[in-house]
Amino acid sequence: MDPQQLTPEQQKEMEEKLKNMSPEELMEFQKQQCIFCQIISGKIPAKKIYEDDKVLAILDINPAAKGHILLLPKEHYAIMPQIPEKEVGEMFIVAKKMSKLLLKAIKVSGTNIFIANGLVAGQKAQHFMIHIIPRKEDDGILEVEEKLTDQEMRTKVKSLIENKFNELMGVKKEVLQVESSDEEVKEVEELEEPEEIKETKKPAKKVKKKAVKKKGKRENKEKVEEEKPEKESDDKDDDDDDDGGNASLDDIANLFK
Amino acid sequence: MKCEHCDIVERKSKADILYEDDEVVVAIKDLAMTPGQITVFPKEHFTILEVVPEEILEKCSLIANKIGIAVFESLGSQGTNIIIQNGLGAGQKVPHFAIEVVPRVENDGLGLQWDAKQLAEDEMATVFMTLEQGMKELDSSAEAEKTKGKDETGKDKKNSKEDDKNNYLLKSLKKIP
Repeated sequence: MDPQQLTPEQQKEMEEKLKNMSPEELMEFQKQQCIFCQIISGKIPAKKIYEDDKVLAILDINPAAKGHILLLPKEHYAIMPQIPEKEVGEMFIVAKKMSKLLLKAIKVSGTNIFIANGLVAGQKAQHFMIHIIPRKEDDGILEVEEKLTDQEMRTKVKSLIENKFNELMGVKKEVLQVESSDEEVKEVEELEEPEEIKETKKPAKKVKKKAVKKKGKRENKEKVEEEKPEKESDDKDDDDDDDGGNASLDDIANLFK
Repeated sequence: MKCEHCDIVERKSKADILYEDDEVVVAIKDLAMTPGQITVFPKEHFTILEVVPEEILEKCSLIANKIGIAVFESLGSQGTNIIIQNGLGAGQKVPHFAIEVVPRVENDGLGLQWDAKQLAEDEMATVFMTLEQGMKELDSSAEAEKTKGKDETGKDKKNSKEDDKNNYLLKSLKKIP
């Protein structure tokens, strides 16, 4: 999907143009460059299996197996974390429908629902998609080996992820601070850590919406700066720093250009 | 029947539980494609995707998405795969529906790929026709289901009446030792 070859001068001109674009113009530009956006708008033909106002399901022209379906959000998103919550849920419900269709209409012994977020995960297009792949035993698709991980590693993963995940879920953890005045306290959990931990549930949706909005803005800004593909693998344990945390996500989204 | 995921819920397994509510469980299992892999599954025992009620599926997907974000931001991953192995032929090993979130870094040696096939025009057309036809049948049976459901309870009967194919899938899953 390489764009036409540019001379160094043209490239420079292009870079200059990109720099001067407003976030809205940039988004528009990105969409113009995206083959799947063109399929969605009907400029490029595709074999459509399902369509509603939010999503489009088409046959992959280079499938892993006959009947390989690509489920696309009509809006242009690069990776899953950018998609509004409601749409994520709706997409999975359509994915279930597509899987059911494959099981029913094609003789297969299973399906994979597969999402790749980021180049290293095998994402090939800049438009987010859910693959629904019909499977047969020993077809060599999505082969992977499972290994035993040790307890130490699992505990480490848990402790690294827990804070951020609870934050996203709207579960607030306060260490050694028990306030009985808060009515929303639903559960007190004893974890492996020695500290006493209190969990407070708060409406998760609100928090999430804000985060998404913020991310969108950030992405646009970064897009301008980010010309050389620089990879940041920030192993940040500091979850309180929202901006720093989002940066790595945006980097991943921006790897596609 | 022994189910690894039900065992996790009942604390009969070595897996660490990261999150749990009335409907969804998030766990870190000892057997993983890569360290940091996290499994999201409904608390209730549903074998395959097709029998998971929509509300539960939606909730699982939202939580899987959040796990994905948390993985990006706190494990230093450069990417994630979200995978559902649905049916024996698709590599499903535990007869209990789950969404796997797999953190990825460069050169991690995980396969998780496929060889893209080049189908001839007529082959594509045949597959398309089959699926188009299948879609029509699916829609009409869903319609019938809906009216039936309304007669009985007024609610969609959560996909309980499944087609033969799914029953076959369910049966084959029960054969897992």
